[in-house]
Amino acid sequence: MHTEHTIETSAERQNRHKAMEAIAVLNSLKEDFKSPIRSMGYFYDLFEKVYCHHQPLHEGKAKIGTMCIQIPSEIIYALDAVPIRLCNGFYTDDEIGGDLLPQKSCPLVKATVGWFASDNFSDKPDITFSPTTCDQKTKAGAIIESFGHTVIDVGFPRTKESEESCHYWRESVKSFAVKLSKFQGKKLTRSNLESAIKKVGYAQSLYHKLTEFRKNKAVPILGVDMFLVTNAFFFDKIDEWISAVEKLVSELEQRANDGVNVAGKASPRIVYTGSPPIFPNYKIPLIIEQSDAIIVADETCSSNRMFNDMVAVDEWNLYDMIDSVSDKYLKACTCPIFTQNDDRIRRIIQLVRSYNGDGVIYQAFAGCQVYEMEQRSVLAAMEREGIPILYIESDYSPSQHGQLTTRVEAFIESLKNRKRMKK
Amino acid sequence: MTKNKFSLRRAVNNMNLVRFRFWFQIVAFALIVYGGYIGLDLGDKLPTFACVFNSEGTGGKCYVGELQHDLKHPLEGFVGFAGYAFLISLGMFAVWFWVLNKGWCGFVCPLGTMQDWLTMAREKTKIRYSEYSWANRGKIKSIKYILLILLLLLPVMIANSVFGLPKLPNGLSMPFCDICPGRMMIPAFTGDFNQFYIDFSSKTDIVMTTIGMIMTGLFLVGSFIKKRFFCYFCPMAALQYVFSKPALLKLYKDGSKCTKCGDCYRACDMDILEIADDVTSKNLVTEDCTLCLKCVAACPEDGCLEANFMGATIFESTKEGFLVRMAMDQNKENHAH
Ligand code: SF4
Ligand code: SF4
Ligand code: SF4
Ligand code: SF4
Ligand code: SF4
Repeated sequence: MHTEHTIETSAERQNRHKAMEAIAVLNSLKEDFKSPIRSMGYFYDLFEKVYCHHQPLHEGKAKIGTMCIQIPSEIIYALDAVPIRLCNGFYTDDEIGGDLLPQKSCPLVKATVGWFASDNFSDKPDITFSPTTCDQKTKAGAIIESFGHTVIDVGFPRTKESEESCHYWRESVKSFAVKLSKFQGKKLTRSNLESAIKKVGYAQSLYHKLTEFRKNKAVPILGVDMFLVTNAFFFDKIDEWISAVEKLVSELEQRANDGVNVAGKASPRIVYTGSPPIFPNYKIPLIIEQSDAIIVADETCSSNRMFNDMVAVDEWNLYDMIDSVSDKYLKACTCPIFTQNDDRIRRIIQLVRSYNGDGVIYQAFAGCQVYEMEQRSVLAAMEREGIPILYIESDYSPSQHGQLTTRVEAFIESLKNRKRMKK
Repeated sequence: MTKNKFSLRRAVNNMNLVRFRFWFQIVAFALIVYGGYIGLDLGDKLPTFACVFNSEGTGGKCYVGELQHDLKHPLEGFVGFAGYAFLISLGMFAVWFWVLNKGWCGFVCPLGTMQDWLTMAREKTKIRYSEYSWANRGKIKSIKYILLILLLLLPVMIANSVFGLPKLPNGLSMPFCDICPGRMMIPAFTGDFNQFYIDFSSKTDIVMTTIGMIMTGLFLVGSFIKKRFFCYFCPMAALQYVFSKPALLKLYKDGSKCTKCGDCYRACDMDILEIADDVTSKNLVTEDCTLCLKCVAACPEDGCLEANFMGATIFESTKEGFLVRMAMDQNKENHAH
């Protein structure tokens, strides 16, 4: 028998490792839980296509990389390009980036830098816009640029209450729109921006419909599935995402009528907050839901924060649409990079109240300074409100799994006891 | 979620407020400006600019005009019966006002409505609106009170020598009416342009009527570029606000539901920052609010803002209503008007 020996290139090895990471999580989503949802199949397949088979989705279209959620996707869609959010959850890439950044950096940033360092994309961004959010993201932009990519900084203020911030950010967004419009050789017009705002608004409305079901006593969808759905919005074709979510909404409606519950009767209801879980780094959400709790809501920038707040336009002319879009990305944002963040605390409390949460799990990436620093104020606020909260630090490495599981399980157990006592 | 799909409440919360207000304002405008021709007379204590100079058409009379007239009496006259009469007039003004609260401004006042029409015209020309800086926005708040005090004081000072000062000339008898854009603009709608004049009978009259002309010019230009330009300075609004607390129509906010997204503030023609940023007060009828309810229509959070009449919610913000109004409830390929 003849076997061919080929030496695996580093890109192939990287892809193989990423595929392994991806498939492990997808399998766990598909197989570890009861009452699977049919229409989640689209999303499982999508992630498999992109991350296991490295299939491009957007051939022939301009792909616009974004480093954080503050780059308005409405403007990108209006200019006939696709936004690709570059927040990365792969440990493989995190390790590559680890060699290029200080040791204690945030794994998400390391993974993004690692991704660019290896230059191994299925849909490579043609140009990247980097809002100056947290220090690490801001500096990462310059590092990525040094690899020969075009990275354009978009100045983002770190206070949101002041008038100066509001004007500064509006100017930033205008200049972003001008640059992108030049890059695309296309004009931003009243009609293309209006359609894009309404389309993104419609996509957001579908997200709101999905979350509505999570208020039910019997929760018809897992938190990890929800993370996957919102995560797909980072890179999927928007129209296909929309029709897949429309199907999901109607299936959930059916399930809600039938009283299908993906969790147990006594499963504690968790509100998840902190550093964003990004595929395939669903470590903590998976531990939570494998430990007989259910995530009913979240306050993270890979999910709720991306969809919750809507653009409202008063005068449907270009000037007002651009300002509305800018204001939404600044004023409504609860990102921890802001000096004060009472809004984030109020959001968490409101989520606990309206989704009937039993407790909050606050996860910060080791090295994500802003989330680590905000921990105290959030914990204090939860204590004032009488909401149990667990704070955990984690990174992308598979090593601490056992220890994390123990802590999460203990917390969930205590929530169960609390629930029993209340009865 | 699927419950009460066709309820009235849902229909109201999903309404197109812009259209509703547009037609409501037209009807109110017609009643106030032309009501007199069909014999409508709502009295002379109206908390809105139903201009007395539109003598034939007006469906009632503006209390600010009346008030200046009432005050032009010797002070002794206010002791006893005339004093009671004065208080009764003021009371009647308050009672009218309590029904709609500042809603008189957002839905009825003909000057307010004219400004909204000018805004619509600007919107058609695609010219951007202008805004005050936040600092100036704060400063100009006091101007309406200064105007109010002057319009109360000057008539008194014509009839009386206050603090030993000489009495003021009679040309100041209706000081605010002299400079009120309503005096020229409202009769103009019934084809009466007689108020566009400069009165040369005395120095005071020349000055006052000239200021009046300038004010009307400012009113037209100002409210073309700045939404509700005149309302920022309106002494009627100042007088109303004194009585606002017990009024029946209210704008309530549930701060715990507010995400401070600022959508309401963007919609607010009076640039009222508190509507988005105040998450502790319940009553959000602030001094410059016109109760236009645009903020309620623009708020995407269920039950965060509401118009409340005597304890009953009549219109509240809902996610669904927001989506319908923003045309985000359906996936249409081409939205261009
Ligand atoms: S938390 Fe803020 S800075 Fe961090 S990834 Fe999200 S949007 Fe960016
Ligand atoms: S001029 Fe102005 S203040 Fe005077 S009666 Fe007419 S509307 Fe009222
Ligand atoms: S503030 Fe004055 S001008 Fe404006 S609507 Fe109210 S009463 Fe009319
Ligand atoms: S629109 Fe609603 S949620 Fe947003 S700031 Fe205003 S009141 Fe708050
Ligand atoms: S606060 Fe609301 S009701 Fe008041 S003026 Fe502004 S938009 Fe109108």
